[in-house]
Amino acid sequence: MADGPWDGDLSIREPPKVLIPVRILEGQTLPASLVTFLVPSEVVILGYHVLPEQTPTEQASMQYEERARDAVDDIVDVFHEAGREVETRVVFTHDRDQTVERVATEVGATAVLLPNPTGEISDVLVALRGVVDTDRLADLVATLLGAGTGRVTVWGLAGDGPFDAEAAVADARATMVERGLSADRIEAETTPSERPVADIVARTNEFDVVVMGEGEQGLLSVLLGDDAERVAEGAVAPVLVVREPPAEQA
Amino acid sequence: MNATREVTAGEQTNRAGESPEVETQPTEVTDETSVTEEGTELERSIGLVGGLSIGVGTMIGAGIFVFPGLAAGQAGPAAAGSFAIGAVVALLVALPTSELATAMPKSGGGYYFVSRALGALPGAVVGLSIWLGLVFATAFYLVGFGNYAAAVLAEAGVPVGGGVVVPLGLVSGVLLTALNLVGTENAAKLQNYVVGLLLTILVFFLGYGGLDALGVFGRATTPEEFLPFGPLPMFTTAALVFTSYLGFAQVATVAGDIKQPGRNLPLAMVGSVVLVGFLYVATILVATSAFASGTLAEFGETAIVEVARALGDGPGAIAILVAGLLATLSSANASVLSTSRALFAVSKDAIVPKRASRMNLRYGTPHVALALGAGPVLVLVALGRVEVLAEVASFLHLVMYGLMCVALVAMRRDEPEWYDPDFRVPAYRLVAGLGAVASFGLLAFMQTTSQAIGLAIMVVTAGWYRYYANDITLKGVL
Repeated sequence: MADGPWDGDLSIREPPKVLIPVRILEGQTLPASLVTFLVPSEVVILGYHVLPEQTPTEQASMQYEERARDAVDDIVDVFHEAGREVETRVVFTHDRDQTVERVATEVGATAVLLPNPTGEISDVLVALRGVVDTDRLADLVATLLGAGTGRVTVWGLAGDGPFDAEAAVADARATMVERGLSADRIEAETTPSERPVADIVARTNEFDVVVMGEGEQGLLSVLLGDDAERVAEGAVAPVLVVREPPAEQA
Repeated sequence: MNATREVTAGEQTNRAGESPEVETQPTEVTDETSVTEEGTELERSIGLVGGLSIGVGTMIGAGIFVFPGLAAGQAGPAAAGSFAIGAVVALLVALPTSELATAMPKSGGGYYFVSRALGALPGAVVGLSIWLGLVFATAFYLVGFGNYAAAVLAEAGVPVGGGVVVPLGLVSGVLLTALNLVGTENAAKLQNYVVGLLLTILVFFLGYGGLDALGVFGRATTPEEFLPFGPLPMFTTAALVFTSYLGFAQVATVAGDIKQPGRNLPLAMVGSVVLVGFLYVATILVATSAFASGTLAEFGETAIVEVARALGDGPGAIAILVAGLLATLSSANASVLSTSRALFAVSKDAIVPKRASRMNLRYGTPHVALALGAGPVLVLVALGRVEVLAEVASFLHLVMYGLMCVALVAMRRDEPEWYDPDFRVPAYRLVAGLGAVASFGLLAFMQTTSQAIGLAIMVVTAGWYRYYANDITLKGVL
């Protein structure tokens, strides 16, 4: 286990581990500011390439394996220079979601990054619109922002459902303070929202990174993709999706 | 790794100086991935339903939508027996194939097993001739598609003659290849729905037809002698219709992409043969109880449409025509894909130039292999000789099936260290022995033309190996 600057902080309950899936053969890169932002947490780079089902993964790996591994190594070097050793995985797949889910479970990732371009990171939006593991969320935000000066806005989106946005925001804020983030760096607000995904997307230009939960798997998410994926598609900022802990620990 | 290895296939070269891509230790196979030597993971993403859909989708076309007329003309109602014989032979081969595939769950299928168990020469003959066999099969499905498309046009009142069959086959062949070249992402899922829709139509049709044959609807059926031409035509017809079972082994060619291969490969292979065999036999029973076999023979390749018309009038005919279009198209599509996979398998081992399996990064598809398959397919479609196409495809597949059975016996007799199948065939000598005898035996029942073309192809492929890749040995390597 690598010694990151925050690994020794006793107030962090579970050291956060961020999985970064990268479409490795399509020249997708990570903005330097994002790398700097993520350095305090453990990082797993997942370089993947999606193939249409008619192409055997073996065939693609035969021709492109080296290129993919080199590209992943380039990203590793960037983290290395920033003082963070990272774990890597290279996967050829037909199904991106299956691969990300499997690797996230195998490495015990507490969050998955959906990359988007971003500049200097100083404002983080934590969007709460459903049940999310507050401990993991707080561990992640406190670890990433702890040493710096960045600010957090915890924003509860209250819909028609039973989700109590006010309570969730208060709880998240309290837990972040508990994990060592000073209270004056956290802003809290709650607004009613009919269309949380669209509302979150609309506000992303005010922020540099969005943190949110996985959201529930409903019919809509099967048709349109996860809430988080839809946010990432529309947003101008990268999205960190906090994963639910494995069932037996819950 | 092992200095005393007798086989060092990685150092042997073909005429172009290329070596087989061999590994020094077994690929680590889990239920969800294979892991290469460098540690790269290859995700397995096809489940049991996907596997069944590949098997059923490839097979189901011909037996229902092309053969009933031809088969009933040759064997009478005993054509049902021909299809049953075909199913039994397919099962005798599917079991050994399942074992080999669970021991070596990689893309390549029959070629891979034969080359590793029996050596590079038989491997090369199988690998190259199965590629050509798939080319013949694709052409055959495309002509079948042309027939159905022409029938649909006729049904819709467009005055077309038989002359449009070949052009329609050619156009659909070009379209399918283009579709696969640009990598339609959801083609495989679409195939699942097509197969599902097809099965639904067929179950309705056969259920209704079966009740009708039993006289439930009070209509007189056509009583006919079961073996009007004696037992021999039942076997010769089995050889003809065996083409309609070519497909279960296609499941083995995607073995590298199947989840939980130890469980799903045998289930998908055996399951699809049983399901398809049942539907075929039922189809012939329904068809021959609706019409005399002589009448069916006159209807030719679209006999089943007349059967549907007799049972359900206009709507019945249209439903079955739509099903026929879907079925021949899905079989053709699956075969186009298999040709490119077959070429990949041999080029990986340097039996043909490696350029043949080059992939296009933008679309993620093997464009060279697809194009190399499409050319000869179109030529064969233009010739349009359905029976010869079907039999040559069968001939080449049967040779591979027979050799796979022999490969199983060879593997079991001299098990390499890495040989550890999840599924073991019970009484393997008996099953594989019968499978081999039946596969090779069916060859004898084919028309002389088909046998001659099939043998010529095998001789040419053996010659190619001697010329191009004579130094390459593959027996026992990974």
